Amino acid sequence: MRLELKEITKRFPGVLANDRISISVDRGEVLGLLGENGAGKTTLMNILSGIYRPDSGEILIGGTVRNFHDPHQAIDAGIGMVHQHFQLVPVFDVVESVALGAETVTGWLGTFGRAAARRRVVELSEQHGLDVDPDAKIEDLPVGVRQRVEILKALYRKSDILVLDEPSAVLTPAETLDLFKIIRGLTAGGTSVIFITHKLGEVLEVADRITVLRRGTVAGTVKPADTSREELATLMVGRDVELLVSKGAAKPAGVVLSVKDVLVMDDRLQMAVKGVSLEVRAGEIVAVAGVHGNGQTELVEAIVGLRTIDSGEIVIAGENVVHASPRRVADLGVAHIPEDRMRDGLIAGMTVEENYILDSYHRAPHSSHGWLHAREVAAAAEQGVRDFHIQTPSIGTIASSLSGGNQQKVVVAREFSRPVKLVVAAQPTRGLDVGSIEYIHTRLVEQRDAGAAILIVSTELDEVLAVADRIAVMFDGRIAGILEGASATREAVGILMGGGV
Amino acid sequence: MTSVVGAARALEMGEAERRGLQAARIRGAVIALLGVAGLWAARGAFNVAATFSFWLLEQGGAAWSITTTVGMLWLVAGSVAIVVGGLQAGVGARFPWRQSLFVLAPLYVAAILGALLDGKVANMTGVFAGSLELAVPITLGALAGILSERSGMLNIAIEGKFLVGACAGAIAASITDSAVAGVLVAVLCGMAVGYMLAWLGIRHQVDQIIAGVVINIGAIGITNFVFLRVLAKNTWLNTPPTIEKIKIPVLSGIPVVGPLLFSGTPYLYFTLAVVVFLSYMLFRTRWGLRLRASGEKPSAAATVGIDVIRIRYGAMLLAGALAGLAGSYLSLSSAGSFQMGMSAGRGFIALAAVIFGAWNPLGAFGAALMFGFSDAIQSLMSILGVDVPPQLLNSVPYIVTIVVVAGLVGRVRGPAAAGQPYTQG
Repeated sequence: MRLELKEITKRFPGVLANDRISISVDRGEVLGLLGENGAGKTTLMNILSGIYRPDSGEILIGGTVRNFHDPHQAIDAGIGMVHQHFQLVPVFDVVESVALGAETVTGWLGTFGRAAARRRVVELSEQHGLDVDPDAKIEDLPVGVRQRVEILKALYRKSDILVLDEPSAVLTPAETLDLFKIIRGLTAGGTSVIFITHKLGEVLEVADRITVLRRGTVAGTVKPADTSREELATLMVGRDVELLVSKGAAKPAGVVLSVKDVLVMDDRLQMAVKGVSLEVRAGEIVAVAGVHGNGQTELVEAIVGLRTIDSGEIVIAGENVVHASPRRVADLGVAHIPEDRMRDGLIAGMTVEENYILDSYHRAPHSSHGWLHAREVAAAAEQGVRDFHIQTPSIGTIASSLSGGNQQKVVVAREFSRPVKLVVAAQPTRGLDVGSIEYIHTRLVEQRDAGAAILIVSTELDEVLAVADRIAVMFDGRIAGILEGASATREAVGILMGGGV
Repeated sequence: MTSVVGAARALEMGEAERRGLQAARIRGAVIALLGVAGLWAARGAFNVAATFSFWLLEQGGAAWSITTTVGMLWLVAGSVAIVVGGLQAGVGARFPWRQSLFVLAPLYVAAILGALLDGKVANMTGVFAGSLELAVPITLGALAGILSERSGMLNIAIEGKFLVGACAGAIAASITDSAVAGVLVAVLCGMAVGYMLAWLGIRHQVDQIIAGVVINIGAIGITNFVFLRVLAKNTWLNTPPTIEKIKIPVLSGIPVVGPLLFSGTPYLYFTLAVVVFLSYMLFRTRWGLRLRASGEKPSAAATVGIDVIRIRYGAMLLAGALAGLAGSYLSLSSAGSFQMGMSAGRGFIALAAVIFGAWNPLGAFGAALMFGFSDAIQSLMSILGVDVPPQLLNSVPYIVTIVVVAGLVGRVRGPAAAGQPYTQG
């Protein structure tokens, strides 16, 4: 079915999220919707799925105007959303998850017709080559399969317009290829697909047509055959971007961080890091690449003292830190930029100033005998705001009211305010705009050149390839391989991310 | 490289298995030790008779009894425990030890009971029928808790609903001279309190624990005021017609089982029916599927067009109705009038039953029976003049609950989103 969005405008307090956006997708076509975080992709899709209502503009399906007041109407109109964060109930099995909201019932009590639902799930799964066990519990399934359950959900509701929101974010390169195969099968059967992503390579590979969004407006619509990565990148960010970070060759010196045969368990007491050994030297950037959830989070937490290890050894600047507290680790000269800045990096409800001294409030000059010295604290925070170009009305502003890029700068400013020997940066640029990404990368390279050892954990291949001197790829709790940054290729890293050959 | 990976894998698998085996051995040893303790207790107890009797057809009529010795009871319990412990240690982690506790526990309860009675004859019909009746308000309260929490709302105001239901039920029944009217008013009042909690928690996103505490304290204050200032002066407002026990024709004539199961109050029959009905509704119907989805992952329910907020209001109203009904049981059936603070913490015991029963109606009923049983045993002891501190007996179910919740018997997991406010997009 042909879908058209015409002149959609949506305004939130202080933000024009969608400004007269028009897109269309034909029957059996794949539309790639490309844009950075904050370009308005998600808002647009929430309007399409009936979660938000547009301030103006209209939605046409097969030429007729449709207005969605709630998700149900969008579903009835044939629109199936596969959300970036899967909307599945972990304790339900596949049949229950798929049928939820579209159950067939019998009897006056409304008994759920499980047998019939199961038959349809099996049938659809076979017909589209999805290979999903109908009786498996969602929480036991790997993410790739969960995504196929989401697709099943849409097919079960007879959706002929399928919207995939950042579907590859949690997939390995191999799983992504499987997904592309499934998408092609669906479009061959007449389904229209909208594929939302910020990854250039993927739209070029899977889309029939690409619409690029930038700051809430359509920056252009192109055919993959007539364009290039460079052109798409320019459309996306609005200026020529340098995909590489300018940096000189690394001059590695002595070992600062040494991780040896480390085993770490996750919160569910499953072994998450299964014997990792890694060294980071002063003056080099080592990037740990890999799909999210392969033990990187636990490894970082173990290094900075937030998680006890099961066995092995971690030495930072000559000191064994296996039983050290996070404060002791910080005092050794470790700067930690956590993966989730709103959870672990900042206290959202406190001010920039207070967040700035979280690591040093307990010592001079910021306090003595339990009393804070307001003047010294303010002076230090003002200095940090100036040095790191943090855009904030004042140092008394609540951290959560800053933009993501400025929040991250507060974290970086704080962590770099002490003498740094080792930087542990987990997803340092997640969710940031291009300007902030460049800024953070430059600062990291500066620290490297000043003689610090840098460990970056990132799921973004582009970031890893751009900044790393050496790349360690993690898969299933182990280092699947270590590559030299200068000679590493996208393909080589991708293969290791999927566990090697 | 491959050999290193292989070695690490072997290490980690061996690790998991070794831990499982170690845990099984420790469990086995503990159970076997319990068995040895049982055999130890059996020595010299073979001359003490243990007699349990059951009414055949009705209370006070002919009785049927089993007589053995306390030593024999200990011997059986101890031997079974040693066998179970040995199997557990031998077979390892695969041995279904949780299930085996269902055999072991009653054996030990019987032996301990025999030892405490010390030769006195105990009438078990009274104990079992008493357990059932005492379990009624706890079960109804627990069902209210299950409904709320499965829909995503923490409901600690069950105690308050009990009090309001009991008070309103007694007054309404006294005025109208109709017990049925009393029950209806209690149910409506329970629903009103439930609606208030839902309104605070959903509409205003007040922390659900705090809202619950406020309602509990408010309920105590209001019912105490009504009792002291209104009912004390106008006793005619607190002399309701009561709801009496009903013998079910034919079924109540079955020997032993009849007086035990089929000679209770209508509340008992209704509660049993609701347990079965709600089990079906929660796990076999569309309504149940949607309710559970709302409590586990409301955003997933909302994206497929389910109105989470409506479901939660509905669940809270139904929960209020059940808790109000339980309140009316307290004043109209078990006590015969409203008394200050007569819920006596049963609303909180119901919450313990929710957890013990793993958010499952049947499980919660089982837990409520256990609480009822310890209550009934305690009154049996005091009737027979056995000297056991009642506080000790009373605390047993709580200790068991703590052990269960602490995860020794298995991980019980509540609805993931219970207590989290939900905002529709």
